[in-house]
Amino acid sequence: MASAASLDLGRLVQEAEALASAVRGALGPRGGQVLMTRPTGETLLTRDGRRVLEALNLGSPTARMMVACVSSHHNMTGDGAKTFIILLSKLLRGLQAILDKREGSPFCEDIQRRERDQKHCHSLKQISQSLMTFQTHILDHIMAQDLRKHFLSAFSSWEGEISRDTMESILEAYFCGRIGNSHQKLLSQLSCDFYYRCIPFKNGKNEMLDLVNEYFLELHSAVTGLPVSNSRILEGLVLHRDFAVYCPADGDIRILIVTESIDSALSASGLEFVVNAEVQYQASQVWITKRTEAIMKHLQNNNIKVLLSSVKQQEIVIYYAKISGISIVECLSSEEISLLCKTTGISPFIPTQDNIHSAIAETMIAKFCRPLVLGSKRYVHLGLTRTCAFEPHCVIFCGPVHGVTEQHASAFHGAFKMLQQLFKAVDLSDGCEAQPENPNNTSKAVHCSWQQSATQQKFIMENISCNREKVNDQQLKTSMAETEKQFIDSSRWVDENPSCNQTDLQKSSDLAMPIVELESDFMFSALSDRGSSVRELQKLPLKCKHPSEMWVKNKSEPVVNNHRICNDAMTAIENTSTSVVSKQLNAAKEYWKPGNHIVPFKYEKSYKHTVQSYTNLVIQAGSVLSVGGNFEILLHYYLHSYAKQCQQPKITVISTVIADALLSIPKILYRTTKENSFTQVYFKATSALQTNQQLPMHQQGLESVYCKYQLVASVLHCLTKLLTIDLIIGIKRPPQKIDDPEEDL
Amino acid sequence: MSRTEAKKPSLCTNDPLTKERISFSLSVLSGIVKSCYGPTGRLKQLHNGMGGYVRTTSQSSALLDGLSITHPVLKVLTASVQNHISRFSDCGLFTAILCCSLVENFQRINFAACTVTKISRHLLSLSTDYLKSEACGCRISVDFDNIKTLLSLVRSILASKPACMLNKTEVNHLSTLVLKAFLLTIPHTIETNVVLGKCVIVPVKDKRVMDSTVFPGLLIEIPEFQLARTFPVKRVSSSTIKMALFCISMSGDLSSIGEGTVIVHHGISLEVAVLDQLLNLGKQLVNDQVGLVVCQKVVHPSLKQYLKEHHVITIDRVGVSMMEPLSKMTGSQPIAALHSVSPTCYGSLKDLCTESFVSKHFLHLIPNDTLVCSLILCNRSEMAWDELKLACQTAEHVLQLTTKQPLALLGGGCTETHLASYIRHKSFTLPTNVLKAIDCSRTQYQLVADAFCRSLECVACCLEHDDGEILTDMVYGHFWSIPSGFPCDCNWSDLALKCGCGIYNNQRNLNWTVLRSQCIPFAPQSCSNEPSIHSTDHLVLDCFTAKCSGLQVAVETANLILDLSYIVEDQN
Repeated sequence: MASAASLDLGRLVQEAEALASAVRGALGPRGGQVLMTRPTGETLLTRDGRRVLEALNLGSPTARMMVACVSSHHNMTGDGAKTFIILLSKLLRGLQAILDKREGSPFCEDIQRRERDQKHCHSLKQISQSLMTFQTHILDHIMAQDLRKHFLSAFSSWEGEISRDTMESILEAYFCGRIGNSHQKLLSQLSCDFYYRCIPFKNGKNEMLDLVNEYFLELHSAVTGLPVSNSRILEGLVLHRDFAVYCPADGDIRILIVTESIDSALSASGLEFVVNAEVQYQASQVWITKRTEAIMKHLQNNNIKVLLSSVKQQEIVIYYAKISGISIVECLSSEEISLLCKTTGISPFIPTQDNIHSAIAETMIAKFCRPLVLGSKRYVHLGLTRTCAFEPHCVIFCGPVHGVTEQHASAFHGAFKMLQQLFKAVDLSDGCEAQPENPNNTSKAVHCSWQQSATQQKFIMENISCNREKVNDQQLKTSMAETEKQFIDSSRWVDENPSCNQTDLQKSSDLAMPIVELESDFMFSALSDRGSSVRELQKLPLKCKHPSEMWVKNKSEPVVNNHRICNDAMTAIENTSTSVVSKQLNAAKEYWKPGNHIVPFKYEKSYKHTVQSYTNLVIQAGSVLSVGGNFEILLHYYLHSYAKQCQQPKITVISTVIADALLSIPKILYRTTKENSFTQVYFKATSALQTNQQLPMHQQGLESVYCKYQLVASVLHCLTKLLTIDLIIGIKRPPQKIDDPEEDL
Repeated sequence: MSRTEAKKPSLCTNDPLTKERISFSLSVLSGIVKSCYGPTGRLKQLHNGMGGYVRTTSQSSALLDGLSITHPVLKVLTASVQNHISRFSDCGLFTAILCCSLVENFQRINFAACTVTKISRHLLSLSTDYLKSEACGCRISVDFDNIKTLLSLVRSILASKPACMLNKTEVNHLSTLVLKAFLLTIPHTIETNVVLGKCVIVPVKDKRVMDSTVFPGLLIEIPEFQLARTFPVKRVSSSTIKMALFCISMSGDLSSIGEGTVIVHHGISLEVAVLDQLLNLGKQLVNDQVGLVVCQKVVHPSLKQYLKEHHVITIDRVGVSMMEPLSKMTGSQPIAALHSVSPTCYGSLKDLCTESFVSKHFLHLIPNDTLVCSLILCNRSEMAWDELKLACQTAEHVLQLTTKQPLALLGGGCTETHLASYIRHKSFTLPTNVLKAIDCSRTQYQLVADAFCRSLECVACCLEHDDGEILTDMVYGHFWSIPSGFPCDCNWSDLALKCGCGIYNNQRNLNWTVLRSQCIPFAPQSCSNEPSIHSTDHLVLDCFTAKCSGLQVAVETANLILDLSYIVEDQN
């Protein structure tokens, strides 16, 4: 019989905390290593959270799900597995605390009449939905409006070039987390070197990073038994095979790729070879030998010096190669062959009856092709010229044990994944478009949605008194039928929110169609139409610096004013006499100009460039922050201040929980230092933020904002997934994989 | 349905280094390696308790291969030592002892792992910089014109392996042989890319060590009955024998036919066809005046018979390992075709003769250019022979490493004590800005430096196994040992006769103190101006490359172990 158990939050908390404790010791620059043994008996050293979590071989399905989430996140960004699980455990703990309180919790109030065991599950579902809301809407806006001004750009020029200093500090911070401070300097220098040496031309970085990430296995070699300081970068490629034949050659060496055996066999598949006489058999053997000889001679005449083969060649081929002065490398992996083809843009040579007499065009040229001894193994070292997309180089990792070289190699690979992420951007407008459309939001709907930073919101709240309709319950219920559940929450919030300056100028009867576009994340207020007079805003000091960019859209849809947001003051002008006034200050349409930008980028001269203007991006490509928990503290601070403003109790609670959970990361980072205890760091940071100053920097090093952003989003996503589970059912058979018949289409 | 088994959950250990289990296993391992160190090291007998092969050894490679280690932390330690040995052959015990005592000493001072790591990395860079600098006082340059230094190097290696059971004359004899064999592998003409030849060790057991010899060229063992029938050899000229080397099977079997089908009509024998081809090949070889045919695989008896009738010597089944030296030595190219053999593939030999040792008979291939030589290694017992072979290979490898970096370090513990006094001195005079860069206080630095130096001195102390007293002088920082049982009223200067490496005799008042006692830091003087370096016959020297790398590997591994905060053991 299948056993079923309902999801228990307490159990989730325990599991997540147990997982977190396994990796906590390895977090941050002062963390230690984790030693793992494999079933095969080999040992592996790592600070990689994913590796550790995967090695635990957990039995619990929910814990396995958490580990799977960590793995998929880590695969994408190459970083953040430890932070992921710690954050998750803190979030779960925070949510549990809320549920335990029960009384006064916004997640428990309207379900009091229901049965007891349903109650718990129901509130989990609600939390999960609020989390979803938070993740899809609020997070982006807070990133865009509050955090964005703290971001630095890694690029030193508009073309997206990145200076060596910046690169080094990004990589150093990365390796600090991945391998600790013992060899961090060496590896960050190595990877920095590798980056600049591999990049073929100024704008080829994305192609190069793709290629390096795809073929990293082929681009590195490991040598054990040597000190780590012997690790180095070699020019050219190292093929992980030895020469079958080596004939030294000088000058430009022409190289040919073959993917099948040059020597032909007596018969081929599907063919029959009939032997009529002994002489015939002997003659055919001789013919085969002669043919092989002819092909090799032909290659020699075409000045081919090296033959790279993906298959094993016959001894006869090797014999004739030696005579013709051609070196052969055989049994190359298909990845190596495809890497060679991609870097040089040539295709393999197939000897046929026709082309063994014509000239061979598809060759690559190498400066050198010689044996290379690494440790006890002999490899082929190939120095290609005329390459595209990438200047071939490879890394040699040295270390006393295999565990160390493997750790360094995977950290190095992770660093390049991280760089790939660094050059990505987040587009806010995508998130907005993905919002569910409210069916009530038709041409008649009056809607006014304010999307502003929390402080600006406050400012407006204090100064503008919006005429607001009280939406009664009945209206709510009608909209409920058609809208997503989250809107209900939001609407209710509008209802009950006392802090909103609502003036009951109008009664519900006047209202043709109330609000209802609930940009669930943001405040909105409904403005009445027709006879109702919206109070004028003329007394306010209206400042609009760029009226030219204020434009009015008047289609069948609500009028939308897209305003630029200036940092100190911002407001909207409204014409009260018009019937429909809708104002939407959408952060996505927010236009920044370097001139208006008040945040100085003055840490180092290379960071001076501000985030580019006129983009729709929440996070620009190349956005970075200094390390040491700055991102977490910033997000914590702004979430908290957002929560204070927020009128929606559920979102407030969620934001607070997330904000508090974020602080656990810097708490662990600063756990052992004497000069910078966590409380000091936190106090300094918040006081700096309150007085609108730049954050104090405690450590050198930068980290990619995109990775951090992805991390928070992934954690929230994972949490949502966990909380939506209702029952856990144990079955005897492994679940059948459902094959999607349309998969191939 | 696929069989799926539930995996056992892994075993996790928090803060592994504080646990009893690890400190106990570590002390056992360090006890084993410490007691093996040096010429007077104690032998270990490895056996599996079920009978069978017993190995007596004191060498790190054999010892660590034999030990079965279960604790993951110790696995890391032994794996890194074994990897070091596979790269350098030498200084395995040095690395193991240093690593163990570094872990023990660093644990004792009980600082945060990252502080210790940072400081010890700095100490390591101080040491390696010093060893690699010209000013280094404990290294000497190896002059390849002066055979004495090279001989000392080889002798030190052989003498430090007590399980070989050699006496002094035997050590001297073998050292000369190993050096001679090595010199034979150096090519006469030096090009840009020097490729050393090969020394093949031929085992002859049940003979005295003094019967060991070196032959230029290769010795191939042949059965006795063949010995009588091989001569006379067909020669091209008085000093040239033409030779053909085959790498394919000449047994007359069919070559691969491909993926399709081959239909053979009744009455037609493919084997006959192939044999026909083989005999044709034999005819060609005879016409080309080939005197010796060597085949990696099997040769068909009919072909053998045919060749013998024409006075061509045939040797088959030499194996793939002999192919490279054979081809290198004779200049012949391994032939892979059974027809139309190109005459350019033939190689040549200077002469061919037979040698016999005890019950073994060899064909001696004498080449024109000696790049390959054979070392006949004899020892009384099987066990001691294994140990001796390992020692000779180590010596050969060390000589190869020395050609790349012609330097040697003082042996007999002198390098360790000298380096320790240098580091002590440096740590007291370290500028403040360096401390700031490492982010530690001076006291912290000095404590770690002291632990580092004590570990180095501990390695030196392990050379003494007979309760003798170990001294160091305050001028050169060398190692002096005094045999146990000296009268307590005796003066040290009467007892200390020679320092560990043998450079200094007791002539001056060197101001001795007991090693590991507290003393004022001093800058040790260099030995490089000492005239005795080139005159003394019996210096004790160590391989520079291997020891430098061993030092680095030991410190890195110790740091690695100290940095462990968690262990996840897969129980499947």
